[in-house]
Amino acid sequence: MILTTWQRLKADRYGMGGLLIVSLFAVVAICVWIGLLGQSWSEVSGNRWESFSAAHWFGTNLLGQDILQRTLFGAATAFEVGLIVTTFSIVLGTVLGALAGWYSHGWLDETILWLKGVLDSIPFYLFAAAIAYALQGNRWAMHLAMIITFWTTTARIVRGEVMRIKQREFIEAARAIGLPGITIVFRHVLPNTMHVLLVQATIVFVVAIKTEVILSFLGLGMQDGVSWGLMLAESSQEVVAGHFGNFTAASVSLFILLMGFNLLSDALQDALDPRRVIT
Amino acid sequence: MSVAALNVKDLSVWFETESGRLQIVDNISFSIKAGETTGLVGESGCGKTMTAFAILGLLRASGARVESAAIEIGGRDISTLSAGQRRRVLGRDIAMVFQQPGAALDPVFTIGRQIAAVHRRHVGDGRSNTRRAMLDSLEQVGFGKPEKIAAAYPHELSGGMAQLAMIAMATVCKPAVLIADEPSTALDSGTRAVILQQIKRLQADHGTAILLISHDLSVIRQSCQNVMVMYCGRLLEVTDCQSLFSSPRHPYSAGLISCIPQISAVKPSGIITIPGRVPAPSALPPGCHFAPRCDRALSACVQSIPALETGNQRSNNSGVACFSPL
Amino acid sequence: MVTNIPQPGLPLLQVQALSLSFRRQEQVVDRVSFNLAAGRTLGLVGASGAGKSSIARAILHLIKPDAGNILFHGKNISSMDPGQLKEARRRIQIVFQEPSASLSPRRTVAQTLLEPLRHFAIGDSDYRQDRIRQTLQTVGLDADVLQRYPHQFSSGQQQRIAIARALVTNPDLLIADEAVSALDVSVQARILQLIQTLQTEHGIAFLFISHDLAVIRQVADEVAVMYRGQLLEHSPADRFFSRPAHPYSKALLAFASFDSSSQPPIGWLPAGHEPAGGSSACVYAGMCADTMPVCERLEPEYYKSQHKQQPHCVKCHLYNEEHANETWTEVN
Repeated sequence: MILTTWQRLKADRYGMGGLLIVSLFAVVAICVWIGLLGQSWSEVSGNRWESFSAAHWFGTNLLGQDILQRTLFGAATAFEVGLIVTTFSIVLGTVLGALAGWYSHGWLDETILWLKGVLDSIPFYLFAAAIAYALQGNRWAMHLAMIITFWTTTARIVRGEVMRIKQREFIEAARAIGLPGITIVFRHVLPNTMHVLLVQATIVFVVAIKTEVILSFLGLGMQDGVSWGLMLAESSQEVVAGHFGNFTAASVSLFILLMGFNLLSDALQDALDPRRVIT
Repeated sequence: MSVAALNVKDLSVWFETESGRLQIVDNISFSIKAGETTGLVGESGCGKTMTAFAILGLLRASGARVESAAIEIGGRDISTLSAGQRRRVLGRDIAMVFQQPGAALDPVFTIGRQIAAVHRRHVGDGRSNTRRAMLDSLEQVGFGKPEKIAAAYPHELSGGMAQLAMIAMATVCKPAVLIADEPSTALDSGTRAVILQQIKRLQADHGTAILLISHDLSVIRQSCQNVMVMYCGRLLEVTDCQSLFSSPRHPYSAGLISCIPQISAVKPSGIITIPGRVPAPSALPPGCHFAPRCDRALSACVQSIPALETGNQRSNNSGVACFSPL
Repeated sequence: MVTNIPQPGLPLLQVQALSLSFRRQEQVVDRVSFNLAAGRTLGLVGASGAGKSSIARAILHLIKPDAGNILFHGKNISSMDPGQLKEARRRIQIVFQEPSASLSPRRTVAQTLLEPLRHFAIGDSDYRQDRIRQTLQTVGLDADVLQRYPHQFSSGQQQRIAIARALVTNPDLLIADEAVSALDVSVQARILQLIQTLQTEHGIAFLFISHDLAVIRQVADEVAVMYRGQLLEHSPADRFFSRPAHPYSKALLAFASFDSSSQPPIGWLPAGHEPAGGSSACVYAGMCADTMPVCERLEPEYYKSQHKQQPHCVKCHLYNEEHANETWTEVN
């Protein structure tokens, strides 16, 4: 199962390219977390708006901070946001979606659907701002806001899959021996939704990063540390003055990482599709 | 000698993979005359459906390689046609009824619209004519109230009804050749009988040549004049239906027939089976593919491939591919 | 090993006046009654939609009947407490029609076979390993299938795995719901062979549901015929296949024996051909070759005959004492 997926993935050049890009960025992120790279992101180490030099590969920003360092740290931030939001929202969405799908048309399903409806109808950025305000600058306010709203998409998908799978005969076989519903859902139904979840995870990852960028741009995002979004926010003034270093570094990094993820996600979707014939 | 309605010569289908060639259909030839039904019988995976798809030219996008000396409908070779020319032929001169009616009908259109679309495409002589032809075709397959069925969506029909609707769709343009792929699998014997009856009626009314594909020997027996037995991509025996069931010549045919459960006054003591298993296309035995499971196998059977020898005392078109036939 | 001690004299399974309907008003199962003794095989035959699979699900307590009782080892399934129900479920197992759909695709064969043992807390870890190997041997598979996934097997092998899963808890009763209908004829023959072995060497009772009379002939001791939810005839297999009583049975049999002059048994025709019957008339009246005036007016009773001490019951006016030439008495 995993093996065949991997084999198919290997055959897809774009997919492997995507995987490579993502891996590279992941390595950078890990290095930042363990203290190997990007540690001096806040240090004012040069004059403002220096351009490319040996000391500062990407130059410096408005305050004289090294852009490269900040870019590397930004990669770590992106991954941090991505992983946390993805993990929690997928788990939450899967559990609620599975319950809704299994007990479909019952009170639990109706409640969860109602909750989904309510959350979907709140304009996201207002919601994020509200949470950020309510949590008074808590570091995790942004993550929380995203998790609370992102789980709905996963839940919708999982609910549909569960409703489809539960009609299959192997589920009936499990019921026939008297297995309780919850056991059946987690043991038999959910493993068959893995392919959908995996793809969904890559999509959420991308959306989380993009959202962080926008939130930081609006000032609702990262409070400590630096992210590409913050860099873009800073650069809005710098660009006017004719200095593009910050802007370029942030936007190009963002572009490459998200592009890599998209390629990976597409390839994964194809590789996991059981109906495709490989010739 | 009149031209056969369908004539297939040296048809082969295979896949090229990293581990070599997967031969799905291996150099088969046959022909069907107008007004005749020929059954193509074999177990799952023997290549019957691929044969049908290859005849229709539906394999182009799939990565399968198809090669044939000729695929002729009424004498006209369709294997060399361009895509556009082929589209004109499909549905009008040759049509196919697929295995699972639920899957083959578009769920968002009514039956009537789908059938009318076929007619419009090939005959297209005005809305009222098309509608009449569409209702006619539904009536011909046995629906007492064709307007009701025409207004229904596929999911509103039972399996048997959907299958009849598909037959109506395939025959609305009165094709010369009809290929029916497992038209009654997953349907119970009563529905099956109705469907086969309708197919036969259509044949009697329009002189259609029918290729009936099935793994179910009783279906073949009820409706075909001639039979071809297929195993691992090859035709092992070709003969008329009666002869096959009364005196099969190939050991595989005999084995298959003896596996069919019979109704008898006394409860049968044991059930006969064919030993061994059908080999996968990636692991086909050398020589005659059936040799490892055959109790009459000779050493020649492993070394070379027996050819389908036609022409013997029974009839001109009978043949068996065996070095030690029964 | 756990052995079953049946209560002497009591049939293994008793279905009494079972009635079921779905959200539509149509009666899917209409007052069906039959008994099944331990070690016997009852072939339940009828067209699709006749209600056969619904009976199976009611026996497994997957759907609740509208009326009637199902007694297993003498105890009513609806009034069992959870412990008793679990024990009943251990002893009644089912095999479905589509082998590929009835096995969980992401679980290995070992996991699939162990699941019932774990759920019913049968034996310890060593016993369970032995048991699944033993069961695999019974169904004719090697132990090397254990770590593989269902999609790696042919449909014949998958069905054997499904049968193994049903056997692993040592059930008294196995329900086979069209278990061979989706298989090629040679594969079907081998599965039927397996079922015969299970009948003779393991003494398992079977409720064998099928629309194919020839298949039923191979395995059944008794035959019950259903039409539109009603049980029309229940007789010993030899008797059924040589002298069927109900006109519908006769039509089924004639048709299945390739009697080319017979029409297909009605009840299987597409829409537009079904007759509308009054609710009190015989459900088969419109299609019957032997209709009498009373058939349109009155629903027939069940008549039973004690032929060679094996009960034979049929729901038909033809067997009312005025008309029958054998001793048929009304079942009350």
